[in-house]
Amino acid sequence: MKITELLKTGSLEIWHHKMRSFLSFFAISIGVISILYSLVLIYSMSFRTKKALEIAGPGKMTVQMPRSGGENTDPNAPKDVLTLDDSLAIRKEFQRLYMVSPSLKKYVRVTHGKFNAHQLVEGISTEWRRRGWIYTLKGRFLNQYDVDNFERVCVIIKTGGWIKKPKWIKLYSWKDRFQEYIKHNEVLGSTIQLGDNLYTIVGILEEPVLEKNPKTFLSMSGRWGGKIFVPITTAQRFLSGWSMNGDGIESISIDTGEEKKINSYKKKIEKFVQSRHSGKLKFEIKDYRELIKEQLTDKARDMYTVLIIGIIAILAGGIGIMNVTLATVYSRIKEIGIRRAIGATRMNIMSQFIVEATFLGFIGGIAGVFIGIIGIQYLASKGNTDMMMVQWWMPFLSILAAMLTGFFAAIYPAWSASKLDPVEALKYE
Amino acid sequence: MIKCENLKKVYPVKKSKGYEALTEVDLEIKAGDFLSITGPSGCGKSTLLHILGFLDNPSGGKYFFQGKNVTSFNDRKRSMLRREKIGFIFQSFNLLPRFSASANIMLPMLYAGVEKSEALERSYKLLEDVGLKGKENNSALELSGGECQRVAMARAIANKPELIIADEPTGNLDSKTGKNVMALLKKLNGEGLTVIMVTHDNELAKIASKIIVMKDGRIEKTVGR
Repeated sequence: MKITELLKTGSLEIWHHKMRSFLSFFAISIGVISILYSLVLIYSMSFRTKKALEIAGPGKMTVQMPRSGGENTDPNAPKDVLTLDDSLAIRKEFQRLYMVSPSLKKYVRVTHGKFNAHQLVEGISTEWRRRGWIYTLKGRFLNQYDVDNFERVCVIIKTGGWIKKPKWIKLYSWKDRFQEYIKHNEVLGSTIQLGDNLYTIVGILEEPVLEKNPKTFLSMSGRWGGKIFVPITTAQRFLSGWSMNGDGIESISIDTGEEKKINSYKKKIEKFVQSRHSGKLKFEIKDYRELIKEQLTDKARDMYTVLIIGIIAILAGGIGIMNVTLATVYSRIKEIGIRRAIGATRMNIMSQFIVEATFLGFIGGIAGVFIGIIGIQYLASKGNTDMMMVQWWMPFLSILAAMLTGFFAAIYPAWSASKLDPVEALKYE
Repeated sequence: MIKCENLKKVYPVKKSKGYEALTEVDLEIKAGDFLSITGPSGCGKSTLLHILGFLDNPSGGKYFFQGKNVTSFNDRKRSMLRREKIGFIFQSFNLLPRFSASANIMLPMLYAGVEKSEALERSYKLLEDVGLKGKENNSALELSGGECQRVAMARAIANKPELIIADEPTGNLDSKTGKNVMALLKKLNGEGLTVIMVTHDNELAKIASKIIVMKDGRIEKTVGR
């Protein structure tokens, strides 16, 4: 018997037992929604990682203090911290490194004309520009004179736009007030207030278009840098409220120039920094991959939770389908006997029930994908979740999972049905 | 066409040797015969009918169908024989209630691999032959008892079988409709089909060319050629 005929009979049965069928495919739908959501997250995460590494280059690492600060627990004890001197010493010791860039960040009140809000300001050295991302510079960048003389000058980053904005990127449609302000006001050469002091804006760095900017594919939380840069020494001296004392900095960005050398440099730099702090400094060196991994860890945890819920839901759906199919078998014993009498083989009977259950899984899959895509679009439009990239194969894979669940769940009931004695089945009322 | 030697059927019963439903049954049926099997309830008529129709296996003895010993045939081979060589007619019609008359008739053809369009066409023709033209799309629930039995007869001959097995075909019908059904059976026999019919009704049994009377699982008497 052809599959179309089996499907016809199957759909008749599903329609005849609407409520029973609905309950079992409803569970499958929930599973499919979760699986689809997990697939979207997994894909988006791997896409982001790949893209970020592809654009930013894989040879980068960061020497940084742990989030909890130094190892001293006594608040009055002097803290041993990473210093600007460490950064300069690394540069001197490892001259083949492509970039050694110290960093110190602080949220301060920024005032310029009508603009007045807190912004992240980052103290950097002149090497910052070597990080490999292509910027267009208007005016000038910070120079060694600025760093050596604690100059109150700053450079502002102006973010790029999309060449062609992908549909899934709705998340990034939120507006940055500072960016909006500098977009509509000529600020180069003017004076801006950062914290308690006035600074001169000496340069505007225009970021590349978002398609070519690694930040697009990483978190937008701000951990990846500020939008206003001042010389590192100026930041240390003038921006009030730094948690670090004296020569302290937060991190040192290093670029080895190539991925292969990362591990050997990592070990050497670790040993070198430890030797400068008599082995007492608590710090960590993370390469770019690790940083990305760290960023994605929380997301991954959420994703696995959703995936597990999805698997459980789909299994529950499978058990539902198994239950429904078993009930169907018991309610159709007579029919099985009739079919056997008119020539159906055991395999014909098995395929009848398996096709029906797989079809039920398919309907559940379709419903799940439909609801899932609407839900994902909604979440993406609200911007309260991460990047949402629905690929064409994801709905198919989710539906396939639902169908396979139906298929496997039906094997035992179908096998039981095929084992029925035709004579006994015919006598059944 | 059919030859049975020393056929035996024992149903297992807990803590005993089992219940012997058929004992030493020897039987020969020629192609084109019309055989009636009669006897009291529990005498083994239906058991014999199920074995002859490949729905059940004998516990002992030999069963030859068209010269082949089919006693040890597996389930698949027996299903194929049922599909291709045999048509069943039951007392309670045994139609699929949610299927239309034509879909019921198409079912054995579809199992046999007949194309759907051809099966549909043949089902319409068969319904016309049994006097049910215009009832093609009526479900079994919308048909009278007599109509259901005629649909069942059309289904039985859908795959052009060589043997019709009828188990009390008029048992659920009034006498007039029963006569019509018997006339149809006789007509099919006249067209060359072998018919084996189980009945309680001695008058109906007389329509057959050969009658066997069973008692306690044995053939007590054979009347006719």
